[in-house]
Amino acid sequence: MAEPTSITFISRCAPYGQHKPKLCMDMALAAAVFEQHVSYIFLEDGVFQLLRGQDAGAIHSKTLGNALETLELYGIDKVYVDRESLSRRNLKREDLIIEVEILDRIAIANLLAEADSVFNL
Amino acid sequence: MSCLHSISRSPSHRLVDTCASLLRPGDAIIFIEDGCFHCLQVSLIKQVDIKLYYLEADMQARGLGASNINGAKSEIVDYDRFVDLCCEHDKLVNWF
Repeated sequence: MAEPTSITFISRCAPYGQHKPKLCMDMALAAAVFEQHVSYIFLEDGVFQLLRGQDAGAIHSKTLGNALETLELYGIDKVYVDRESLSRRNLKREDLIIEVEILDRIAIANLLAEADSVFNL
Repeated sequence: MSCLHSISRSPSHRLVDTCASLLRPGDAIIFIEDGCFHCLQVSLIKQVDIKLYYLEADMQARGLGASNINGAKSEIVDYDRFVDLCCEHDKLVNWF
């Protein structure tokens, strides 16, 4: 098999309003299955995907927060959240459903620079 | 490792703010589709070393041209040059 590439995914949308968060997640999981080096960044409204206590059964959807827990099972352990996006939305680490590394914008810009390719959804 | 960022939605989506905060020296932005309306904005990007490009066909379709561009260091490019830009940068990051 070809050399694995590093792929960075940026998820920028709130859950449930549109399909982009789910698509982004599915792409990342698929890439991880094929043993690519995946990093996952939650930016802007994407941080809303991480809120605790989601129950999408109420709107007849699948709860995205539960799916986030599968990231680790697929070997995606490089999960990052933008500090500024959290603070602008009055969110703290304790509000988040999974363990993540909180980064500032400069660190995220460096992640993008290092990646072989970037998916921005 | 330079990135070419493409922005394809109008200024009201505020994609430029987020994109600009993630730019590094040597990066560039190309405005395509409705992103072309960004040309009307004044002081779009504060960083001095970031080049801005606008796709000619999308500008033309929307009645925009060189005289509508309010910022410096901007260039209108055709499809061939767009392809060149994609190759000159290490990767493309799409904002939509």
